[in-house]
Amino acid sequence: MKKTKLGEFEELVLLTVAALQSEAYGVEIKRELEERLKEKLSVGSIQSALKRMEDKGYLTSQFGEPTQKRGGKRKRIYATTSHGRKVLEEMKNIRAGLWSAIPKLAYEVKLA
Amino acid sequence: MRNESLHPPKWPLKLLRLFIREQYLEEIEGDMEEIFFDNVERYSVRKAIRIYTWEMIKLLRPGLIRQFRFLNSFNRFGMLSNYFKVSIRGLMKNPLNSFINLFGLASAIGICMFSYAIFRWTYDRDQFHENKNSVYLVTAFAPRNGTMQEYGRTPRPLAESLQQDFPQIEKVCRVEDRNIVVKYHDQVFNERIRLVDPTFLQMFTFPLKWGAAESLKDVNSIVISEPMSEKYFGEQNPVGEILLINFDKDRSKEFKVVGVARKFPDARSMDFTFLAHFDNLRTSESDYNFHDWAAQLNATFIQVNDPKDIKPVLRGMTKYRQLQNEAVSEDFAIDSLGLEQLATLHIKTEDIRDDIFREGTKDNIASIAFLAAISILMLALACSNYINIAIVSVTKRLKELGVRKSIGATRKVIILQFLSENIVTTFFALLIGILLGRFVVIPWFEGLWYFSMDFKFGDVNLWIFLVVVMFFTAIASGIYPALYISRFQPVSILRGSLRFGQKNPITKVFLGFQLVLACVFITSAVIFTLNSDYLAEREWGYSNRDVIYAQLPDELSVEQLKNVMEENAHVISTARSVQHIGRQQRQVLIAFPSQEQEVDMLAVDGNYFNTMGVDIVQGRGFNEHETSDRQGVVVSQTMVERLRWDNPVGEQFKMDSVQYEVIGVVKDFHSYSFSSPLRPTFFTHADKSDYRFLSMKVEKGSMRESYEFLRKKWSLLFPESPFSGGYQEDVWGTYYVQLSIHGHVWRVFASVAVMLALLGVYGLVSLNVSSRKKEFSIKKVLGANIKNISNSIFQQYYLLLGFSLALGTPLSYVVIVAIMDFANAYHMNVTFWHVGLAAILLIFVLLGTISTQVVKVFKTNAVDGLKTE
Repeated sequence: MKKTKLGEFEELVLLTVAALQSEAYGVEIKRELEERLKEKLSVGSIQSALKRMEDKGYLTSQFGEPTQKRGGKRKRIYATTSHGRKVLEEMKNIRAGLWSAIPKLAYEVKLA
Repeated sequence: MRNESLHPPKWPLKLLRLFIREQYLEEIEGDMEEIFFDNVERYSVRKAIRIYTWEMIKLLRPGLIRQFRFLNSFNRFGMLSNYFKVSIRGLMKNPLNSFINLFGLASAIGICMFSYAIFRWTYDRDQFHENKNSVYLVTAFAPRNGTMQEYGRTPRPLAESLQQDFPQIEKVCRVEDRNIVVKYHDQVFNERIRLVDPTFLQMFTFPLKWGAAESLKDVNSIVISEPMSEKYFGEQNPVGEILLINFDKDRSKEFKVVGVARKFPDARSMDFTFLAHFDNLRTSESDYNFHDWAAQLNATFIQVNDPKDIKPVLRGMTKYRQLQNEAVSEDFAIDSLGLEQLATLHIKTEDIRDDIFREGTKDNIASIAFLAAISILMLALACSNYINIAIVSVTKRLKELGVRKSIGATRKVIILQFLSENIVTTFFALLIGILLGRFVVIPWFEGLWYFSMDFKFGDVNLWIFLVVVMFFTAIASGIYPALYISRFQPVSILRGSLRFGQKNPITKVFLGFQLVLACVFITSAVIFTLNSDYLAEREWGYSNRDVIYAQLPDELSVEQLKNVMEENAHVISTARSVQHIGRQQRQVLIAFPSQEQEVDMLAVDGNYFNTMGVDIVQGRGFNEHETSDRQGVVVSQTMVERLRWDNPVGEQFKMDSVQYEVIGVVKDFHSYSFSSPLRPTFFTHADKSDYRFLSMKVEKGSMRESYEFLRKKWSLLFPESPFSGGYQEDVWGTYYVQLSIHGHVWRVFASVAVMLALLGVYGLVSLNVSSRKKEFSIKKVLGANIKNISNSIFQQYYLLLGFSLALGTPLSYVVIVAIMDFANAYHMNVTFWHVGLAAILLIFVLLGTISTQVVKVFKTNAVDGLKTE
């Protein structure tokens, strides 16, 4: 766990990239996340999370097609690396383990 | 779908291209553009642009921006801490130079801070009113003496009509002021009451210390100011107390105190002492007609729901013009009605004729311009000192520079070093300057004028201003020395072949500039001082000495007092009048077949000219007999000039459709202080029943005695009413005090400016002398006397001094004449002799400063100078 440092926001971005597959570029990631989180995100926060994770090796990227709407500039399509997917899986397992470790009674009492 | 002409704004993109890493640029630019066009479709173009810009700014974060080379090429912390250490050591090593620099910059910064405080104080006027943007004063425009004059007085029924006719108007408020006598137990004082609609305290959000604003709705309630509360009730809460108010001799009424206003903010245009319901006018006057379009009240205010609604109101108001003009005589016809917003009213009150506002800020705005100029000049003086000393003293740091350069410091690094040292110095100067400003300059100025500018350190803008001043000063003073010093080659420095710093022409230019400025400041101080003496001696056009006067409520009292006073042997003559020179004059409109003029009028009795020493130069004065000369007037010389009468006696004009004829001309006299020009004035023979003033000429030297006599008799005759009267010399109140304050202020500024220049000269000369120590020692060994040495020191300054004075004296002359014309309508004649006096003063102190160094050189033993190294 120690070597896989992944912030909460980074994890969300990484999951979105994984979910969007070939559609995963800056604007689309932002749109998807805004919809799910129901809050406005800045381009800067998404971009810096993407760049950080690319540096850490969770993501790779390559240029896609230029479109007219983007003033002829190419998109950069992101994809998760196998290392990134492994880290996500790890995170999920750790969380699931923790959830199951909560005694049922306590959980229900809390809910009630 | 895409609109070709639509583009995202350009400058954020440029910012982005400058700062974002190259490899990310294409992607981010594309993303931003895509989002921009999405937003254009979703929101308005303006909002899209706003989002775009803001997003761009938020993109500037550490992970995305470029790595700048100059920040990365060395370990910044170590270097900066070294610079800091070197600057502190430099400051400690040359205490004299550091003192000159620090002190100079600190005084300049102190003065800047003071200017800022004045600026803020001026523009803060009335800004504490919550409704400052929606409350308006209704004004009227009428042509007077060829220009359009704005009046604050408006017809009485206007407020009601406005309220009925315009749904946009939320509230209206009428204001009338009356003189009253207030009684509480055994305390009796003359006061002024402000009668208003209960909306007053809602429109003008003066906070209350005690009580509630709503209680003003009750016609028997009164709200008082904090000073009044202290005056009558001391420290206690007076709510519920009863005050007896006399409107005149026969009408009085009891009021219950329902509120006390908290101390008013200092920056206000309007306030009150006593505040009661408008309907009290029914009690105070039997015949007050609320619906008379011909009569006016002191002020009408309106409050609109939204400041945007003001245009339709302004347009709709034109219909009242006719109503008003049908009701009044032709002379008082108005041209139009206007509205003035409360937030900006303070700038205009000087030009609006009104009865309720305190002095406007127009004068302050002029003085802010002066102060800003002075602050900048002071900064320039201090910076010049700094530059001069830096250039000369760097000779002592040549080795350090050589070493730094040879171990790899580039020119940029050296410049950075010198600038950062400068910022350290300026920072210390800023700290001292803030203390100076807060605890010396501002209290000094407040003490002079008896006011509080309500200075607070909590103001964010103040800190922004100070930081800007600091960086500006640091860079302005440091950039030239830094560029100059960093230019030299390390090889020539270390070989020791380089000699520079002593003969830099720039230092001469700066020194010359300082001397010119010092010359201007000294001249101003000299002229302002001489001028206040001159004005104190200036004749008022009548005899203001040995005259006392009293103001009374009615004719009967005037006669009673007159009879009593005439029994006193010291009283030479007495005169009765309706108005009185220096205290009160009526502004009236007089009509000729072809034109109208607004002039001052005083109604007096036959004895007045004689008693007041007003000289009749042509024709005659009024007959002693009270019913004669009803249609005769005596005019002033200014009025004769204004109307271009060749032969004034016999000329005629109309006032209120009565014909008057000129029977005499009097010498001009000043009713107002010398700061305002003479106004055309005339006298009429007063109606006996209108007498309100009694003036008395007394024997020379018995003025104080007679005044005491007057006061004693007054309290015997009228124990109920407070004394109202005084020495004729005092009618201008604080005018002479103000004059001497002007002189004082200029003398202080001049002293600071001269001191800065002298410090600069002193620093420069002492550096110069110390670097020529060997030369002087050799000269002395070879037998030079004090004359030879002083010659060789003075020599290099003669030419400079000559040049500076040749430039400075004419400039001073031009500047001071402009200032005097601006400040005073009547002032002394400035001659070259006065400017010369200033120049001589400057030469003396300058030569004195240089001489201290000559003496020092002469006293040191030549051996000490030679044995070093």
